[in-house]
Amino acid sequence: MDNLPEGVTEPRWIAGSPTLKQITADIAAPMEGRPGKLWYVCFVFAALGLLDLLGMATYLIAKGIGVWGLNNSVGWAFDITNFVFWIGIGHAGTLISAILLLFRQKWRTSINRSAEAMTIFAVMCAGLFPLLHMGRPWDAFFIFPYFPNQHGPLWVNFRSPLVWDVFAISTYFTISLVFWFLGLIPDLATMRDRSIGKIKKLVFGVLSLGWNGSHRTWARYEVVSLILAGLATPLVLSVHSIVSMDFATSLLPGWHTTIFPPYFVAGAIYSGFGMVLTLLILTRQTMNLQRYITMRHLDSMAKVLLLTGSIVSFAYATEFFAAWYGGNIYERYHFINRATGPYAFGFYLMVLCNAIAPQLFWFKKIRNNVAILFVISILVNIGMWFERFVIIVVSLHRAFLPSGWGMFYPTLIDFGILVGSFGLFFTLFLLFIRFMPMIAAWEVKAVAVEQAGHGADPGHGAEGGSHAG
Amino acid sequence: MSDHCNGAKTELVTLGGRRTPEHWKSPEERRNGAASRGEFPGGLPSVRPDDQGSDTTRRDFLTLMGFGTAAVSVAACRAPEQKAVPIAVASDEMIPGVPNFYATTCGGCASACSLVVKQRDGRPIKIEGNEVSTLFGGATCATGQATVLSLYDQERLRGPLWKGEPLAWDKIDEQIAAGLEAARAKAGRVVLLSGTITSPSTRTVIERWRKAFPGFQHVIYDAVSASALRRASAAAFGRAIVPHYAFDRARVIVALDADFLGTWLSPVEFARQYARGRTLDQPAGLHVQFEPGMSVTGSNADRRIAVAPSALGGVAAALLARIARKAGEAGIASTKDPVDAGVLDSVADELWKHRGESLVVAGCNDDAIQLTVLTLNRLLGNVGKTLDIDRPSLQRQGDDAAMAQLIADMQRGEVHTLIIHGANPVYDHADAAGFTAGLAKVALSISTADRRDETSAAVHAVCPDHHFLESWGDAEPVAGYLSLTQPTIAPLFDTRSAVESLLRWIGEPATHYAYLRDHWRTEVMPRQAGARDFDAFWDHTLERGVLELAEVGKTAGAEAAAGGDWQAAVATIGLDAERAAGQGDHYELAMFESVAMRDGKNANNPWLLELPDPITKVTWGNVLLIAPSTAGKLGVRDGDVLEVTTSAGAVRLPAFVQPGQHARTLSVALGFGRKQVGKAGNGVGANLFALTPMVRGSRRLWAEGATVKLTGDHEKLAGTQSHFSMEGRPIVLETTRAELAHGREEPEQLPNLWNERPQGEKSWGMSIDLDSCTGCSACVIACQAENNVPVVGKDQIQRQRVMHWIRIDRYYSGSEDSPEVLHQPMMCQHCGHAPCETVCPVLATTTSSEGLNQQVYNRCIGTRYCANNCPYKVRRFNWYNYTDTNNPQFDYNMANPIGRLVLNPDVTVRSRGVMEKCSLCVQRIHVAKNAAVKRGEPASSVRDGEIKTACQQVCPTDAIVFGDLNDPHSRAAQRVRGERAYRVLDDLGTRPNVSYLKKVRHGQST
Repeated sequence: MDNLPEGVTEPRWIAGSPTLKQITADIAAPMEGRPGKLWYVCFVFAALGLLDLLGMATYLIAKGIGVWGLNNSVGWAFDITNFVFWIGIGHAGTLISAILLLFRQKWRTSINRSAEAMTIFAVMCAGLFPLLHMGRPWDAFFIFPYFPNQHGPLWVNFRSPLVWDVFAISTYFTISLVFWFLGLIPDLATMRDRSIGKIKKLVFGVLSLGWNGSHRTWARYEVVSLILAGLATPLVLSVHSIVSMDFATSLLPGWHTTIFPPYFVAGAIYSGFGMVLTLLILTRQTMNLQRYITMRHLDSMAKVLLLTGSIVSFAYATEFFAAWYGGNIYERYHFINRATGPYAFGFYLMVLCNAIAPQLFWFKKIRNNVAILFVISILVNIGMWFERFVIIVVSLHRAFLPSGWGMFYPTLIDFGILVGSFGLFFTLFLLFIRFMPMIAAWEVKAVAVEQAGHGADPGHGAEGGSHAG
Repeated sequence: MSDHCNGAKTELVTLGGRRTPEHWKSPEERRNGAASRGEFPGGLPSVRPDDQGSDTTRRDFLTLMGFGTAAVSVAACRAPEQKAVPIAVASDEMIPGVPNFYATTCGGCASACSLVVKQRDGRPIKIEGNEVSTLFGGATCATGQATVLSLYDQERLRGPLWKGEPLAWDKIDEQIAAGLEAARAKAGRVVLLSGTITSPSTRTVIERWRKAFPGFQHVIYDAVSASALRRASAAAFGRAIVPHYAFDRARVIVALDADFLGTWLSPVEFARQYARGRTLDQPAGLHVQFEPGMSVTGSNADRRIAVAPSALGGVAAALLARIARKAGEAGIASTKDPVDAGVLDSVADELWKHRGESLVVAGCNDDAIQLTVLTLNRLLGNVGKTLDIDRPSLQRQGDDAAMAQLIADMQRGEVHTLIIHGANPVYDHADAAGFTAGLAKVALSISTADRRDETSAAVHAVCPDHHFLESWGDAEPVAGYLSLTQPTIAPLFDTRSAVESLLRWIGEPATHYAYLRDHWRTEVMPRQAGARDFDAFWDHTLERGVLELAEVGKTAGAEAAAGGDWQAAVATIGLDAERAAGQGDHYELAMFESVAMRDGKNANNPWLLELPDPITKVTWGNVLLIAPSTAGKLGVRDGDVLEVTTSAGAVRLPAFVQPGQHARTLSVALGFGRKQVGKAGNGVGANLFALTPMVRGSRRLWAEGATVKLTGDHEKLAGTQSHFSMEGRPIVLETTRAELAHGREEPEQLPNLWNERPQGEKSWGMSIDLDSCTGCSACVIACQAENNVPVVGKDQIQRQRVMHWIRIDRYYSGSEDSPEVLHQPMMCQHCGHAPCETVCPVLATTTSSEGLNQQVYNRCIGTRYCANNCPYKVRRFNWYNYTDTNNPQFDYNMANPIGRLVLNPDVTVRSRGVMEKCSLCVQRIHVAKNAAVKRGEPASSVRDGEIKTACQQVCPTDAIVFGDLNDPHSRAAQRVRGERAYRVLDDLGTRPNVSYLKKVRHGQST
């Protein structure tokens, strides 16, 4: 299925040596031409998923949380699992664009744009769940500190991790959005310049904020990018650390654990890269971008998965060790129950997908097989969803008093909303790759120039934004 | 102002009859005229409960309102010519918002407990026990608590019915008078079929009938009767009575399948006695229970031995043989021991050691067993000490043989007129088909049922009686202990007191009130020494609710009546045992009254339907209880539907594996499977009354020779607790008397990161004594009634969404065949450092300066984080809107206008999407504080004991004590300091204000 010459034999991040003009043309092609059949098929499914989400959410809000399978023992299940899952997905984008930028990793250039878009869409999906899971979503604004209010001096509870979540996620979303948009500006200017239609020109013109491509603009642009990358970097670590505190600060066995912040961050990067891998394999096939998203990219991401997957496995083992070594009867029971109780299948699925599957990436052959990469990337997604399910549901369903033990059985609405959130995500993503430059052309060009040696003339890309001024 | 007057004038002119231009909406309307169709052709949806559309249309209403507005406006334009008259003349008895309390008597069952009813704004909303009563004290049972909801049952008849159609009372009376005249003319037999009547005044009405109709017969029928006990008493003591037991005076109690703490005879009274007799300042007593299935009483016994129902007689006979030998009574053959002889020897030794302060009781409705047990008590010298036959209990008067005879007579067409009062034999008699067939041959059948139930649907006239909360009356549950019933609300519907009906039909019309007063003037006052002025005597008694008469006629020589051919009884038991042994590889089917449903009379009460069974924790239906070993052998798991067949028929029910169940016995609760009782109760569970065999003139609640078959079906049980082992966790702690002698070990106080809370003057807390708690579950219903806890239905219980604020956790320890049972009431622990509080993002749950953990419904957004973080799992989430009138899924009392009358106005009805939980009855705390302020004292001067939470108030064993932990003299604080005190999951650092007292394993008294 992959007929391209293997680019991994030499350190090239772009297959062949396209001219800058060709790069621009290739990247603009999806926006200028008609998308292929595959895109339409995907979009129909995604839109159906979105419709499903709208219907299910409406039903949920009309009837009450009772339409889910939750009960007195298990107060959170699919809702918060989905929330943490999507937040985790949302980690790769900023990591790729911010941290890898700071580390000057060249290979990020082809994938950072779509990874950032993915982050934003994933955080939007994630943000939906705290709202939907509330008993009274119409009063959701109570969790924002606002003053004065009709409640007099009533304030929010700064001791509650849910309030920290509100700050952490909204900050993360804002910075990610700004960073993503900032990265888009030069390419939007390119699109503005290439556009023929009046409306298109106007829209891209407004969005590109009067970019003129002067040296001064470029110089300032680089500085702002660096500053934003610096701002975003701690956020990558903080968001999931804070999300993990939803669990770590409680006193429930299985939640009440100090290793949660690093464990969750590693898991988030792992799941984020898994999703990036899934999406990139899909886009390079559907949008014919094999030249820019090369096997080398896929290989690098597989290595990141191997590293983070190993960290996650280590965390799993640490939890069991701590439960045994700590001697707390509730904790110990929880981990026995995790491995042998009624939800043991979830635990083993999670171990299989997150601890065992990425270990295959030690082998180069596997890292270079797109089909296997795709399958494993899906497994990573499944495994990370189940990791959150296991942490949330297995801890809740058998806590301290055996009289309060129970089981959670998901309903159709639970599944419907999970599927629907994918619908929302893919609808947004498909629209993005159709209407926005999904690869950072200006960054790829820089790599292309470097790759071709200094002989190449940057002026080749005549339509590049640099001429706009 | 003038504009206003002008407007009003126009309005008046219109009203004055000026013809308005004709408007029409459709050609059809124009042709037929608007009047023929009205404004709403389909009729207005009526909010009136009876659904009879009102004559007043909306237009009329607006017209009248317009006129009213205009009239007021016109009046305002001129000087008033007349003096204004206040609209409402305030009743000096009813102040809006201030409750009144009326003493009355419970009609939930024939135990006739004395009550105090809380009435708010003219409607009774809460039932409590009457503390003046020496029999029942302030306690009630779950059924009693729930009767207030039965008052507001939508299924009650709105008025009398004649042949199924509504008819006015006077017309019905004419019909009945004609029928009775025919009976008199033809000398046809008139029969009154009633349940146990504890009311002395009603009994005099029946005497009047006896005089009015020569062939009159009164048949007393109890669905679950003590008929055999009465007959055995007749044989032993010469009087067909139910002795009045005193469990508190018995140091050794041996019960044979008598669930005296749960359902038997007078459980509230017995539970009080039981707790009184087992306090730690007395030497340890011994309670041995022989029973086939685990009952509430068995779960509290020091020693419980599972025996097949057919072996219960053998146990009684074996004990009698041993005691007789000790007593030197000759003439008893040694019997075969159905259980380990060593057990019987030790029990007999204990009984003999405590002659005169022991008690043997049997719940078996079998003459031979009852006579054996009475003889045991006689030989042990207990008569007159722990069982009183001079002042017997009048709580079960049913006669099974007379009922069987009546059915035969009816089938032969010998009964002309049958009046059924407080009985429903078509549902609860084994020979329901025979009764129905006989009823068809009765020329005039009348029922006083409050609804069209199985029986009243087949009679000519249904003349609905008042609910007891609407009615006058009296009761004498135990000879000499009188209790008055007074109405706490005007009758909701067009019902009439049955006493009034009975008097009217024999041509002596009188109101129930007048008759009752008259009866008390002539019959009761003379028996009360020192009473002169009747009005004063009446008012005083009515206010107190109870009257205990000092003098009671001594029966002549009870001791001398060494009565009854007990040797023959023992021989009969031996024959029975042989016959049962000959049944071979069959099972026995034991039937019992469950705590919630009893005999099924209150089966439309959703509170009771949703009350978890104290042992199985299953709601909404009965289950087939099967021993773990038998279940393992048959491959049966919880919920597998089994078919049990006896010679009388078959029944299909889901199985429930019950530890402690006798291996060859299957147990099933009675009282379910109603067909015509109402929306909530119809078709819940299966009816087993048909399987109760008639043996030697008594209806036995067990059947031999049963076979079991797996049907392959599975039903999800609606249980509220699914895990029964404590998993070795320190949750219910136990101790022994020996350990207690060592004194208290101070538990290590763990360090805490939080600052100590600022404390108010009060620190409310609670102490729950696990040694007294019997698991009777009355507190669950009391809390539900007090705190407007919604009913959620079977489906939601299956989804583990019960809303009860207090639950009783039940754990087993020891072996599956002979487990020890632990009951632990669990509600919000009101933690000092509450885990729920820190995690709520919006501060919807906070701890007050007085130690109460408060839930702020208005602020709650329903993240459920608090419930997840609550280690006690006591928080309850409103998954749906349970009060929505348009949602058929939750069509219970909170979703209909009549059922809502039971709601406590002091407690918010919670909306969908918010969390709720126990508030320690904060509304009661405020009532007491307000009372203190009214007295002119500071609010903090509330005295200890002035505030009782609903669960505390109802508890028959005083297991729950609420109070101020800051006050070293309060009962709660004293208990918390005691050597048995501990707090659940204290090592989490939650610092609960609710604490527990360890269960004491009393062991043998040696």
